[in-house]
Amino acid sequence: MNKELEHKFVTELESNQNIVHKICRLYTNDRDAHNDLFQEITIQLWRAYPKFRGDSKFSTWMYRVALNTAITLYRKSKRRVQTQDFEGVSFKISSEDYDDTIEEQLKLMYAAVKDLNDIDKALVFLYLEDKNYKEISETLGISEVNSRVKMNRIKGKLRKVLNP
Amino acid sequence: MDELELLKSKWQSQEQKFPKLTFNDIYKMLLKKSSSIVKWIFYISIGELLFWATLSFLVPDSTQDFVTEMGLDTIFLVINIIHYCVFAFFIFLFWKNHKKIQTTDSVGTLMNNILKTRQTVKYFVIYNIGTTILLMIGVNIFYYVNGDALAAAVKHNTHQYDAIPPELFLEKFLLLNIIGGAIMLALVLLFYFLVYGFLLKRLKRNYKELQKMEM
Repeated sequence: MNKELEHKFVTELESNQNIVHKICRLYTNDRDAHNDLFQEITIQLWRAYPKFRGDSKFSTWMYRVALNTAITLYRKSKRRVQTQDFEGVSFKISSEDYDDTIEEQLKLMYAAVKDLNDIDKALVFLYLEDKNYKEISETLGISEVNSRVKMNRIKGKLRKVLNP
Repeated sequence: MDELELLKSKWQSQEQKFPKLTFNDIYKMLLKKSSSIVKWIFYISIGELLFWATLSFLVPDSTQDFVTEMGLDTIFLVINIIHYCVFAFFIFLFWKNHKKIQTTDSVGTLMNNILKTRQTVKYFVIYNIGTTILLMIGVNIFYYVNGDALAAAVKHNTHQYDAIPPELFLEKFLLLNIIGGAIMLALVLLFYFLVYGFLLKRLKRNYKELQKMEM
């Protein structure tokens, strides 16, 4: 195994680790599962790393591998008991627009996103990460039109969940 | 979709809430592979035990009768019981190694545990091969010494050897027995070499990587 490659990989992952954390939080419900998924993604990324040629950004490539890992792992454990806890999910809200209802709305929205199926969740995640549809389609391996259509449907779904 | 836009606007600011993993934290995750290798050693040893146990149920009645007639049934039973106890003890050791490696967090202990696991596997293989060889030699010497009883017992239980003239019987029987035993032993050796050899090699590689990290 190439020492240099290893060092480069770990350094890049270290500086991009928040992406993986966000995915873990979205796809798991407790700290243990979060750590497990993080480790699994790390190992999958490392396995795939020799094939990463650097023709896309490290982070772009990472989104793809990490989401794939989360989705396949999530599929395997789908029948596990789903507990909804909001522990650890909190967003920084600046004091001038601090408002209980905003906090509440955010939590509800986050919970609704968490409840989506694995593929839809990946799409919303990339959307929240401020990726454009071209990037989303490349990461998920679907067409741009398809990702737009899907996103619109998901928005509809979320609307229904929040305003029944 | 105001709520989604709201979530998006606040999305980036959740970042500082995450644990910050250091270079070494992530590096160690790559080395956690050791844990899954040791897990496989544990599983394979259980599978092996089950395999041998099932095989012993499949022994045909004629062989059983033959063993009884030779007066070997008690000693075989005792050997079997001891053997399974030792086997179970090894499985227990594998399990202990696995548990230990899972919970290790320092590189030094992990290295120690890898060494220990390799040692256990080596003893396990030596034990298995050693007992197989000893048992084969012992049984064949016993047959040789009790040649007449052997001929009678074989005649009672199978007709496969009827065509062989009695004066050549003992030689032929022992020869077949030894060839059969050798083939069996070769297969077991090949299995150990492929399966455990492969796993041990990977453990060794992990160990070397850890060594570099420690320096």
